[in-house]
Amino acid sequence: MADELSTGVERPVRVKRPSTWAHYRALVKKDLLHEMHTKDMLTSMGLYALLVLVVYGAALAQAGSQLDVQQMAGGLLWAAVLFTSLLGLNRSFGHETADGCLDGLMLVPMDRSVLFLAKATANLAFLAIVEVVVVPLFFFFFLGTVGVAPSWPLLLAVLAVGTIGIAGVGTMLSTITVNTRGRDVMLAVLFIPLSFPLLWSCVSAATAVLVGTEGFMDTFTMSMALAGGYDVVMILVSWVLYDFVVSA
Amino acid sequence: MSAVVAQRVSKVFGRRKALDRVSFELPEGAFLSIFGPNGAGKSTLLRVLSTLARPTEGTVRVAGIDAKEHPDQVRERIGLISHQSMLYADLTAFENLMFVARMHGVVDAEDRVRTMLKAVELDHRRYDAVRTFSRGMTQRLSIARALLHDPSVVFLDEPYAGLDPHAVDIFDDLIDRMRAGRTFVMVSHDLQKGFDAATHVLVLAKGRTVLFQEKESVDFQEFSQLYRETVGMGVA
Repeated sequence: MADELSTGVERPVRVKRPSTWAHYRALVKKDLLHEMHTKDMLTSMGLYALLVLVVYGAALAQAGSQLDVQQMAGGLLWAAVLFTSLLGLNRSFGHETADGCLDGLMLVPMDRSVLFLAKATANLAFLAIVEVVVVPLFFFFFLGTVGVAPSWPLLLAVLAVGTIGIAGVGTMLSTITVNTRGRDVMLAVLFIPLSFPLLWSCVSAATAVLVGTEGFMDTFTMSMALAGGYDVVMILVSWVLYDFVVSA
Repeated sequence: MSAVVAQRVSKVFGRRKALDRVSFELPEGAFLSIFGPNGAGKSTLLRVLSTLARPTEGTVRVAGIDAKEHPDQVRERIGLISHQSMLYADLTAFENLMFVARMHGVVDAEDRVRTMLKAVELDHRRYDAVRTFSRGMTQRLSIARALLHDPSVVFLDEPYAGLDPHAVDIFDDLIDRMRAGRTFVMVSHDLQKGFDAATHVLVLAKGRTVLFQEKESVDFQEFSQLYRETVGMGVA
């Protein structure tokens, strides 16, 4: 038998160019496997989100009963989600730059935009897992006594649209900042202004469904349309530009 | 057909010209060793040849394919072994190779991965995380990674960096075994080792070609003397 390290004359290696879908699945699976082994992003984001809730608890306790927590809940929730996601996004590209792994990916014959979609999907999954734990705790600690409007289940739609936008834009920006000096600060400096329209829309929609005053559906619909439009535009722009960004 | 052709390749970073009209042509099965002092442009040339960087000017052809026009077709035919492992430290050896095999579309990926792990004598550590491996073991695994899709051209970027003498011997043995039917381009600081392995030598200084020659027409003593006089003494 020929040595397996030499070119396979007796046993040629069969290679078939994978589909974009196959590349996407392999990349997402790799990121999920990596997180399963390290639990790096989930642990840091989860702990950070819980600490934010503790800080909220201390801050709101001093305000006493005069504070209308229901009116502020949407803003508080999205501030927690945004800062928690920043922590995760900063780490999401870290293992790609270590040991030249990104070069390894660049040597694969593939549409590089797939890398964006796969990274964004993995980031979305990690953010969603953290939200599954943190949002019920937020409700329990801050809205348990004051109660919420019957329209609160619509908050799930707000969380979905907002998290998709954060994962999409955040993935793009974390790629841009990964090789910059002080990337933690740089990501925040770029991410918060760029995601402001999304943040504003999501806070508005979340407040509308949690408070549930008359005409809340109009506010909710308008805000969700803005957030949805933002997601579509920003993710499309990121998809188109990603090859240029990751090759730079 | 030539395996690797570089025609007047230049690469500019801002005001700095890292490569200045470098040209050479390498036949199939050849082993090119690239020498030069730090900052000579060796690694930049390797990045350009392996499609990791685009040349500012000039043409690169690998296996007859224009790297600028059809980079993905070139990537199907090349492998890169670097001083960086390009392996995920927290994934196991098996997971790393399966990922690369899937990305390259290797049919019967699991079978191929097991074969390659046996070939580099790491099958017994297949379920261990790469971060638990020694530098030599990691480098052996990176050879398996680079050869999974059976490339016809292999680029080596200072592959001996950080290896102890025993690991160097094992690495040399692996390189010897994988030479049949492949073309190699290696960047090295080790004059003797690079010269011994080569069929062709290329010396770069300040991004320019100082010497490109078949090894048979060069004596090592003369070559090392020329290298010191031109590169070492800062003449080039």
